[in-house]
Amino acid sequence: MSTGPGRFEQVYAAHVVGIYRFVYARVGNRPDAEDLTAQVFVRAVEQLDTDRAPGQIAAWLYRVAQNAIADYWRAFYRLPVVGVDHVAPGWEPADDAAQRASVPDDGATIRVQALLRTLPDRYRRVLELRFLQRMSVAETAQAMGITSGNAKVLQYRALRKAALMSETTDG
Amino acid sequence: MADERDPSAERFERYLDALLAGGRPSPDDVESGDEAEMARLAAELAGAVGPESADPDPAFIEQLRLRMRAADAGMAAVRVPPPVRDRSAEPAGSRPWRLSRRQLLQGGIGAAAGLAAGLVGVAITPRTPREAPTLGGPDDLVAGDGYWVEVGRLDDLPPGTATRFSTAAFDGFVVNDAGEVRALSSVCTHMGCTLHYRPEWQDLRCPCHGASFDLAGRLANGRRTWRENPYRGDARAYPIELPDLVRPRVKVEDGVILVWTAQA
Repeated sequence: MSTGPGRFEQVYAAHVVGIYRFVYARVGNRPDAEDLTAQVFVRAVEQLDTDRAPGQIAAWLYRVAQNAIADYWRAFYRLPVVGVDHVAPGWEPADDAAQRASVPDDGATIRVQALLRTLPDRYRRVLELRFLQRMSVAETAQAMGITSGNAKVLQYRALRKAALMSETTDG
Repeated sequence: MADERDPSAERFERYLDALLAGGRPSPDDVESGDEAEMARLAAELAGAVGPESADPDPAFIEQLRLRMRAADAGMAAVRVPPPVRDRSAEPAGSRPWRLSRRQLLQGGIGAAAGLAAGLVGVAITPRTPREAPTLGGPDDLVAGDGYWVEVGRLDDLPPGTATRFSTAAFDGFVVNDAGEVRALSSVCTHMGCTLHYRPEWQDLRCPCHGASFDLAGRLANGRRTWRENPYRGDARAYPIELPDLVRPRVKVEDGVILVWTAQA
């Protein structure tokens, strides 16, 4: 077997940054992205057959990552968490998972930016100040000449509008 | 427009505030349904357009690499089926804990090294309110061959203090919790980072993701404990439950503190 010491580390080195970026683009924060990335590789060290073809290994890892991200969001939807162990990731690189593996910086960025552009001016402005410039609520309120309470309501409505639009464009 | 305050918008701001500060947002600040969609969109937006690089922290990559290497190398040792605590001895209503290979892996390098060194049979105790047995207690560590190692003098460990120790098989702290001496692993049960002692909070704190363990080795700032007793040290609860810290046996003889360590 070529699964001796070193083989797994090669797989790790080849994929850890891609998996992290993939997760980060979907959870948007470093602590959770680190957790989920670690979950993927903990499962991989237990279960991944490192003798598989590189494309299959990539597909397997990205599927596990996808499942881990889905589980993460289930907590927000108050849905039962499945657990990353309970979903068989499969080997087939036939779907978009393998493609994503080779193009880690995927459509998510483009999609959210397109979404921002289609929002009404004030909604786009409040989200740009908070997300792009990372202003606090107080700074955002000051920049827009409104109260902090108004800024919170405005960003809430902006995100709701964007989420509804996102659902319809997703089909 | 007039000043308006909306409870949903105020609550949701707590989620955004954590997210945009680069912290770990909590599902508790988000209602299911539309707000979950909004949170998800906000997360994608934060990940896509924020000033923070989408690239991982090199320290994280290196730490995980070392942990994976230890796990990979330790798989053979870890495959030994761990003893399971006698369920009939569990207090009624408690959740029996099986120590799985996964939990051992999640225990990190320390746990793997401990196993490789023959420290099999570490029983992770159920998370129920219980009286911590004095001086560790035989329940907390069913060790095979081993020996007592001197780790310090009681005179140097007044109540409310802690000292690091290191044996062939184990890295940890001995703590004096109001007169009761305990030994605790210094390896966080989340990802294996090394804990540090904070005298002002009387806890062992993880530098990686902010878990705090009390001096009995239990997670002190988890969501469950948070509801009953908001933890003084943090603005929000630690989001997931973690196993207790490993607690080797400890005794004090003639003023000398001794910790049981597995035969290396």
